[in-house]
Parts: sequence; structure tokens; C-alpha cells
Amino acid sequence: MTVDVLDTVVTAETPEGILLELRPAGLSARFYAFAVDWLIRMVALNIVAIATRPIGGVGFAVWLILLFLLEWLYPVAFELWRSGATPGKRMFNLKVVMDDGLPVTPVASLARNLLRAADFLPIMYGAAIVSVLVRADCKRLGDLAAATLVVHQPRTAQKVTRAAVAPLAPVRALKPRDQAAVIALATRAPLLSADRLDELAVLAASVAGSNSPPGSQLTQRVLGVAEWLMGRRS
Amino acid sequence: MTPLQFEALYQSEWQELEGLLQRFLGGRRKADGATPQGERLAALYRRVCEQLALARARSYPAYMLDRLERLTGDAHQAIYQRREFGIAALRRLVSEEFPVTVRAHAAYILVAAALLVLPTLIVGLLVYYRPDLILAVVDARTAASFEQMYSPVAGSIGRLRGANTDWVMFGYYIMHNIGISFQCFAGGLIAGVGSIFFLIYNGASIGAVAGYLTQRGLGVTFYPFVATHSAFELTAIVLAGAAGLRLGHSLLVPGRSTRLQSLVSATRRCTVLLYGSTVMLVIAAGIEAFWSSAPWLPPGVKYGVASLCWLSVLGYLTLQGRRRAG
Repeated sequence: MTVDVLDTVVTAETPEGILLELRPAGLSARFYAFAVDWLIRMVALNIVAIATRPIGGVGFAVWLILLFLLEWLYPVAFELWRSGATPGKRMFNLKVVMDDGLPVTPVASLARNLLRAADFLPIMYGAAIVSVLVRADCKRLGDLAAATLVVHQPRTAQKVTRAAVAPLAPVRALKPRDQAAVIALATRAPLLSADRLDELAVLAASVAGSNSPPGSQLTQRVLGVAEWLMGRRS
Repeated sequence: MTPLQFEALYQSEWQELEGLLQRFLGGRRKADGATPQGERLAALYRRVCEQLALARARSYPAYMLDRLERLTGDAHQAIYQRREFGIAALRRLVSEEFPVTVRAHAAYILVAAALLVLPTLIVGLLVYYRPDLILAVVDARTAASFEQMYSPVAGSIGRLRGANTDWVMFGYYIMHNIGISFQCFAGGLIAGVGSIFFLIYNGASIGAVAGYLTQRGLGVTFYPFVATHSAFELTAIVLAGAAGLRLGHSLLVPGRSTRLQSLVSATRRCTVLLYGSTVMLVIAAGIEAFWSSAPWLPPGVKYGVASLCWLSVLGYLTLQGRRRAG
């Protein structure tokens, strides 16, 4: 199914022959996730610094090693740990996957996080920001080299309730895409204001044998056609 | 078939798959593909793939497509999980994959070693014959602190007197040295320039210190100090630099693939070098903090252990895993 719309969706074909739709996360979502992770790391470092101060030398060593681990390997650990996301990413429903939609591999996770050092250049993640902004798939340099994507996790589908309208047969045969458009209008109906719904229903008036003027009566007829198309007959 | 009929017909399968996925992804990781549950999951997944294709072809309502897309997406993630962890994978990595990868990068490693060692020798000799050149690298106070660090009467070699304990230095070496190796790797993404810079820069720094201390007659403490851990440390930096050089090379000379494809395949191969490099730097940090710095060990012992370390590192990298790989 190809629809020419302005979108950043990336499709990945599975061995089963279907196309998975991956939605790359843009700069703002990734920045928020990064900021949350940064905060978590700062808090962890400060807590450990306070807790280990009485121990002296060994405590300071533990702190230094933790600094190193948090700096470089914190994202790797979380990305490989089942969920594919650091706490910050999970908070914003982001996830790291391979280009083909598969879970991220250890090598790819390590590569994308070590190459963060290159993304940091020249200052303040300049390279990463430019790369995320100019590319349709929103990859930073580390993602490019490791063949990974940061994607929005699909939201859980909402239960759709359609208004209870008596089904009405369309006055002419409809192409599948037209059918889908009428049904889509019906499923969106509860989210739209009555006036807007009427406006949109006018566009589909021809399927409902429009001899009625624009208004709620016409709208009811269009919604009735949608019910008929969905399969209700009585 | 109308959308409602379609939904009614397959609804139960979707719900069953949703339930299975919730248990599979949410709970135990152990559920392996051999259990009946795993088989059922795979079977349901294939059916849902079919149903998604049908639903798309028939332009069924968006909410139904959304649900099917989410189901297939989640099931795809669950079914194609890679289990590359565990003891067996680690053993294969140590006994075969890492040393074989090292040898596959022999040319890059030689170049990286040259980029590190030549500046060391050149700057080292320059500073040895013109000691005032050290002031071009560091200021006078730092130069004086080098002398203090490696003075034969120091409490522990290689650090300022009484400044820090072995443990603190261990932590510091881990943070600092592994950070350098990661930078050597990441610098490769800038067409290799970053890796070349870090290798030369570190080589020149080492050379400057070595040349200066030798000229001041402190070689007797300096060389026994560096001999042992350098077996791991210098090798690890060279490996990380070689991985970076490969990244740069793959971008500059992509051959018959696009630059991006070439970079991706190079990254997948050479990141394995970083596994070994990191472990070697942890070993080096331990040796440097607890063994190299001990003043009570006679230089003879240190040199003996050092040659053993160099031999085993080079032997491991050149010989390990040859038979099975061949």
C-alpha cells in the first residue's frame, strides 16, 4: 500500500512478506529522552558520591568506574536488556531497533553508543543534531554506522466506538479507497465537533444520494453508509 | 468480506496472540521457541501476517490495520529476538571471534601501530637530545612533577607522592584510558582523521615523557613501571585506533557499495575489536595501579613479568583460534 503523503515512515520488509511500518523519532522526542537519562545519571553519580565519601579511596575508585560506565555503557545495558530502551526513552515511548525492525544486536548497540563521541562534535552534539534534522529517518551518525533506528513505539490501539446509526446502502459502487475514507470519517466522528463533521460529510454526500442539504441529516446518511460498508445490514 | 465479518472471524486469534505476547515480552525471558507456546506464537504470527496483508489490500478501516500492525510488529520483535548472550557465546568470542577479527584487520593494525610508535620514537629522541623541548608540550611545573612521580625514592611510582591510593588510580585509569580508546574508535567516523590524530597525539605525549625522564636519568624507575601494563594498554589503543581507521577507510574508499553500506558493514566487523580492547584496558588498569607502581618489586621481576605479558598478548592475538578458523 503506497500512499503519497508527507511522512517519515520507514518500511521494513519481514521474511513473511509484510511491510512493518517504523516511525523514526525526531529531534525533540530524542532530546527529552536524552535529558531524562542525563538527569538520572547525574542523580546516580551524586548519590554514589555522597554514599562512598566515608569509605575513602576505594569509594572514590567506585565512583570513577561508575562515571565511566554511565558515560559509555549505560545505554548499551538498557538497549540490550529486553526493552531496547533507556529509562528516558521508555518514558517517551521510544525504542532502538535495527533498520529491518529487529531487536538491536549487541554489536550495533555498542557501536552506536561509542560513536556518540563523534556525534558530540564539534560541540554539544552538533553533528548529531544536524544529522537528525536533515535525514528523513532521523538518524544520528552512530545510528548510520550501526544501522539502527530510534522509533516511536506504536501506541496501544484505542477502542473505536461508532455512533449507532441505521445502515444505509450507498447509491453507487465505491472503490476500496473511497470505502476506507467513508469508514475513517465514521470512526473519527466522536472526536470531531458537530460542525466539522457536517463539513466533512458534505464531501462524501454523493455516496449517500444527497438530496438533503448540508447538515446533520446528511451527516447521519453518510454515517449510515459507513455502517453499511462496515458490514451491518440491519 | 466486510470489515465486521473479518473482525468477527479472526478476533479470537488476535486476542490469543495479544495474550501470548504479553506473557512473552512482559514476563520470563526463558520461554524458548521449543515449547508448545512458542510454536503457537509462531503459527499465530504467520496467520496475522496473512490477515494484515489481506486487510491492507482490501483497505479495511484504519483502526483495524493499526491493531494488526501493532500485533505483527510486537510478534516480529518477540520471534526474531537474538540470543547472542551467555557463556557459550562469550567462549566463542574469546577463543575465536576476537583473535580472528584482529588478524582480519592486520593491515589497519600495522598502520595504527606505526601512527602510535613512530611519534613516540621521534618525539622521544627529540626531547632526549633537546630536553628544553619538553616545555613545548607541558609547562615547567608539570615537567617537574614528572620527575617527582618517577623519582627512585617515591612511595609509589607513577603518581604524585601521597596524592592517591592504588584504588583511586585504578578507577582513574579505567575512566581515562578506556575513554581514550573509545575516542580513537569514534574519531574514525570523521574520515579517519580523529583516529589518526588521537594515535599521533598519544604517541607524542608518551614519547615526550619517556625522552624527558630518560634524559634526567630516571629511566631506571620509568621503564620497569611502564613495561608490564603497556603490553595491554598500547595494544588496546592500537586495536581501537585500527577499528577507527577502518571506519574512516570504509567511508573514503567504499568500493562497489555506497558509502553508507560500506560504513555499516565495516562497523559491524570492527566493533568486535572494541570488546577485546576494553577488556585489555581493564587488565592494564589493574596492573598499572597495583603492580607497576609498587616500588618494592625489583626491576628484574618487573621486566620478567612484562616480557611474559607481551609474549602472551601477541601470542594470543596471532595464534589463538587459527586451527578452527582455518
